[in-house]
Amino acid sequence: MNHISEEHLIDYYYGEAESPAAISEHLEACSDCAQSYELMRRDLEDIKPIAVPQRDSAYGSEVWGSIRGLVPSYEKARKISPWNWFRLNWSIAAAAMACLLLVAAFFAGRKWEHRNGTTIANATNEQQGRQRVVLLVLGDHLDRSERLLVELKHAEPSTEGPLQAEARDLLSANRLYRESVKQQDPALASALDHLERVLIEVSNEPAGLSQAKLDELQKEMNTDGLLFEVRVLRSRVQEDANQKRGAADARKGVSIL
Amino acid sequence: MEANDHAIVRRVLDGDKEAYGTLVGRHSQNVFRVAFRITGDEADADEVVQEAFLRGYQRLQSFESRSEFGTWIYRIAVNCALNMVNKRKHEAACRIGEETDPAMQQVQVADAAAGPERTLLSREIETLQAAAMASLTATERTAFILRHMEDRSTTEIASALEIAPNAAKQAVFRAVQKLRRSLAPLRVNP
Repeated sequence: MNHISEEHLIDYYYGEAESPAAISEHLEACSDCAQSYELMRRDLEDIKPIAVPQRDSAYGSEVWGSIRGLVPSYEKARKISPWNWFRLNWSIAAAAMACLLLVAAFFAGRKWEHRNGTTIANATNEQQGRQRVVLLVLGDHLDRSERLLVELKHAEPSTEGPLQAEARDLLSANRLYRESVKQQDPALASALDHLERVLIEVSNEPAGLSQAKLDELQKEMNTDGLLFEVRVLRSRVQEDANQKRGAADARKGVSIL
Repeated sequence: MEANDHAIVRRVLDGDKEAYGTLVGRHSQNVFRVAFRITGDEADADEVVQEAFLRGYQRLQSFESRSEFGTWIYRIAVNCALNMVNKRKHEAACRIGEETDPAMQQVQVADAAAGPERTLLSREIETLQAAAMASLTATERTAFILRHMEDRSTTEIASALEIAPNAAKQAVFRAVQKLRRSLAPLRVNP
């Protein structure tokens, strides 16, 4: 009689065996397998689920509150270009500019206060935490983009498009990042703009990527230069994220003492 | 009547950004639970929850209406949590990292195994279990947690970890083997 392998017993235990009736039958007939199964069952039942700390009903709102400011509205991102909006509503635009100046002055004031050591630690922690999440996500995006560009560099002509699917996936995220960093980081925004043009070219090629198209991308869109640029930016973003983490850790140490 | 998740996703894509808050409220507890089980750290789990919902928002256009939003965001969270674990491991490797030697932990636990009381034994099991879990690779550990503690099928695990179903099955299998080997001393000692 052939015994049942441990792998099949594990499948059986988790209810995923291909033929559970046959295994049950075998376990009734074979004492060796029945003993092995019993030992395994006891071992697995001893492993209790990891207890999870409670989060109250307001947790969802807190999470949403922490990311709300980081995400633009979909409609706005898709339909209204800021330039058109400014042209059509110049009076509102002037008021908005005044508000922006006010907000800028407010933040400049806060930054000055921070330099003088008077910023409240909790508020800073929260802001740093948000920035870290943004940097992490951005780092991941640049990492994926770098991989795509490397693959593009070594790509063979093809009619199917895993590269195109990846480019389409990156495209929507890229737009959001470009929009959100436009004000704070023009260098990053310009690189993301360049990347976006390449992604559009790659994803919108209906007949797949021919050799001619690949050459065109390399020459006219300078994908090699872009790859270098993305690498530099990725390491910069990574450094920023590490610095933020280091700063947060240092603060944690101080607050405990 | 409460709107279903698909209707809310449509509203968000139509420009009602605030509606996403409802989705976050509905699914944040589940996402936190799995994030905590994978990362083993409250602060990291909170960060994973934020990151998962942020990524979810950014990729919402790629969300297909035939799947469930809860399953979709859960998958993103597992991925974020796994990245977090790998990152922490890398950071720990860059530092000194002597204190987390699993072999050391096992020796310490074996010394404390003398007591016959049930409570002591239970604490010993917990400690040994934690050490055994720590000895797994990030993928094995995550696959096992999803299978054993989160009741997810092999297909769901494969999809969450972005690996083939057979690889997911193998990861669970290897995890069970390693855990049983690590927990064997408890079975031998009465």
